[in-house]
Amino acid sequence: MTEVNLGEEIVFWISGGLAVLGALGMILSKKAVHSALWVALTMINLAILYIANSAPFLGMVQVIVYTGAVMMLFLFVLMVVGVDSSDSLIETLKGQRLVSIVLAIGLAILLIAGVGAGLTDVVPVGLEEANGVDGGNVEGIARLLFTDYLIAFEVTSALLITAALGAMVLAHRERWLPRASQAELSRSRFLGAGHPGNLPSSGTYARHNAVDTPALLPDGSPSELSIPGPLVARGDVRPIDHHDVDQIESLGGGTK
Amino acid sequence: MNVYTPILVLGILAFAFAVFSVAAATFTGPKRYNRAKYDAYECGIEPTPQPVGGGRFPVKYYLTAMLFIVFDIEIVFLYPWAVAFDRLAIFGLIEMLVFIITVLVVYAYVWRRRGLEWD
Amino acid sequence: MTGSQFGVFGIDPWWLVLLKVLAIFVMLVLLTLFTIWWERRVVSRMQNRIGPNRVGPFGLLQSLMDGFKLALKEEIIPKAAHVGVYWIAPVISATAAFLAFAVIPFGPTVSIFGVETPLQLTDFPVSVLYVLAIASIGIYGIVLAGWSSGSTYPLLGGLRSSAQMISYEIAMGMSFVAVFLYAGSMATSEIVSAQEPIWFAVILLPSFLIYVTSMVGETNRAPFDLPEAEGELVGGFHTEYSSLKFAMFFLAEYINMVTVSALATTLFLGGWLAPWPLSLWESANTGWWPLLWWLAKVQIFIFIFIWLRATLPRLRYDQFMKFGWKVLIPASIIWIMIVAAARVLRNDIDFSNRELLIIGAVVIAVLLVGSWLAQVVIDRRDTARKLALAEFENRTYDPIAGGFPVPPMPGQQAVLTSRRTASPVVQQEAIDG
Repeated sequence: MTEVNLGEEIVFWISGGLAVLGALGMILSKKAVHSALWVALTMINLAILYIANSAPFLGMVQVIVYTGAVMMLFLFVLMVVGVDSSDSLIETLKGQRLVSIVLAIGLAILLIAGVGAGLTDVVPVGLEEANGVDGGNVEGIARLLFTDYLIAFEVTSALLITAALGAMVLAHRERWLPRASQAELSRSRFLGAGHPGNLPSSGTYARHNAVDTPALLPDGSPSELSIPGPLVARGDVRPIDHHDVDQIESLGGGTK
Repeated sequence: MNVYTPILVLGILAFAFAVFSVAAATFTGPKRYNRAKYDAYECGIEPTPQPVGGGRFPVKYYLTAMLFIVFDIEIVFLYPWAVAFDRLAIFGLIEMLVFIITVLVVYAYVWRRRGLEWD
Repeated sequence: MTGSQFGVFGIDPWWLVLLKVLAIFVMLVLLTLFTIWWERRVVSRMQNRIGPNRVGPFGLLQSLMDGFKLALKEEIIPKAAHVGVYWIAPVISATAAFLAFAVIPFGPTVSIFGVETPLQLTDFPVSVLYVLAIASIGIYGIVLAGWSSGSTYPLLGGLRSSAQMISYEIAMGMSFVAVFLYAGSMATSEIVSAQEPIWFAVILLPSFLIYVTSMVGETNRAPFDLPEAEGELVGGFHTEYSSLKFAMFFLAEYINMVTVSALATTLFLGGWLAPWPLSLWESANTGWWPLLWWLAKVQIFIFIFIWLRATLPRLRYDQFMKFGWKVLIPASIIWIMIVAAARVLRNDIDFSNRELLIIGAVVIAVLLVGSWLAQVVIDRRDTARKLALAEFENRTYDPIAGGFPVPPMPGQQAVLTSRRTASPVVQQEAIDG
């Protein structure tokens, strides 16, 4: 397995390309939600690269954890900046765009040259051994994680605590009153001044059964209770066509 | 042949089938234009006007998502621990207890502050 | 790359791989068609109806015809949809649904056209994790469908689905831990062979129950089908999907049902191993017979899915989340620790089974009593809190208590000052109220 075979090379170029594409898409998308989706593409392709490098456990964990993480990013975008928002492309610092492009290209050249020079003609060593000595990839990780890197593992729990605490501080609203139970809600509905039971449903005897068509009372007048309040406020209530009502009633054999 | 190649083959077949079906829908069905059909569905009324930027979302989901990640990472540690448990033996049990109890501290905190209640 | 135990996988000739892939694909599509028909018939029986019986013998071709009908329906893409994402969402859902089946073992090694091969597409050391990973990619299809429809109900449905699926994925993931502990592996084929004397459903019953519960939540099926609660959210995330795009979501939902059932079979019911009376017959676990046992076990789970749907009403959302976060997750953590402790006691300290059972019973009793006491304390505190609040509400509100302006506490009514009363809005409120 020390030789890089053809299959691995194909996987590298396809997945590597897609990962870079995802990263570029993330930066170049105007919509924040699209950026989050491109990140998901990058993460999945990185996972494929890990698997191709004989680290199947890491690859699967990458997908499981990062899909959750990207989902959170996605939700965060939806919550904080709105469902459809996009970035403004106005430069706030003058000349910032040019400078950052130049610096980014410089960094890229540096990295490619440095890493490229360091990694040409390297013969991979010890992969077979690392995955075999404990009877498999997962067992090897378990041995390292739970013996040599025990402190790091235990400290991770502190990181998790911080994350959950942070989320609580940011997103949790304390309730002042205990939540009303179903019994209490029902009691207050009956004791209160409002309508105790279900409100009449819309559209009875009318031409449409859409919620913006009021139900008709026995005397032919529209029932205001049958239309949702917001529609009344928006002025979206459909007027009743009395001619239609008469026609329907005559068809029904005069139920009046 | 690699152990992962069959997954790739199945993936290609499934993907091709799904793309074909989704694309075919455009050609197999009829096309009859009606403005109301292309509006968002809202029980027969005119769609509610959306705010600019499309409205936001209850921040409540964020807490659930974050707790999910916390527990997901805990599970990810539990898996190799479970597989190698017989070799780690009592030492493994104790270290995992320490880890889980630490995470349970924040779980208890969130529970106590009613972060797990949804309303 | 692969350990020695996976020697039988990844060595099939290319035509056999193609054959297996095709077989899995066809089987999943057929199982979907069958399950839809079976569900409708069984639910009908349970509701004193007959169900579809017109197309083909016993109405068996009904779901196929429904599929054709969907293909001939007009495809409606809402104006407000984000077209690219709207297209890709059903593709992600359907592809992920098919992919998860790659590591499910159907049977032992058989001979196909003279080649000895296991009845399983492939397997590797972390194949159960692979199923989890694919499942979490599948959630994207739903969230993206909800978001890209550009409509309110799908967005709510999509977010609700994702919150629900990630909540139950944790309980599901935790129920695997005890299985891995006993099998010493995360590969499906090894987990099946580790259940040779006794199934994990028997020795790890709590894990099994937690898995079965969370698999219903994970597939959005009744009584946990809140993402498509018709009364609240119309069709949920697929409200704006029609024609074959809708069919893809439908297909994915039913394939996911089969997948979680197959996973339950693999992890807890011994996979393709013959059940007890049949296992006495010595060739029950050889040749093609195991395929039959496997199918029967999967069908039992599918029947349970249908039975649940016909029997139970839908949960309220807060009850559902409470159940996932406050019952399933702590229960699985405690159970994992009990299992691990029992294993250590048995292997390293040499306790007998009887001593272990006694210790286990004591631990469970302590936990039950403890939780009951905790509930009593919490109830008492809640009652006290409510009483205190009621008393507090009855007190009059003093806007300048102690010489400082104080806002009203929750439940208290602000006293209208003369300036506020003068404003037209408040006057209107006063008239309305």
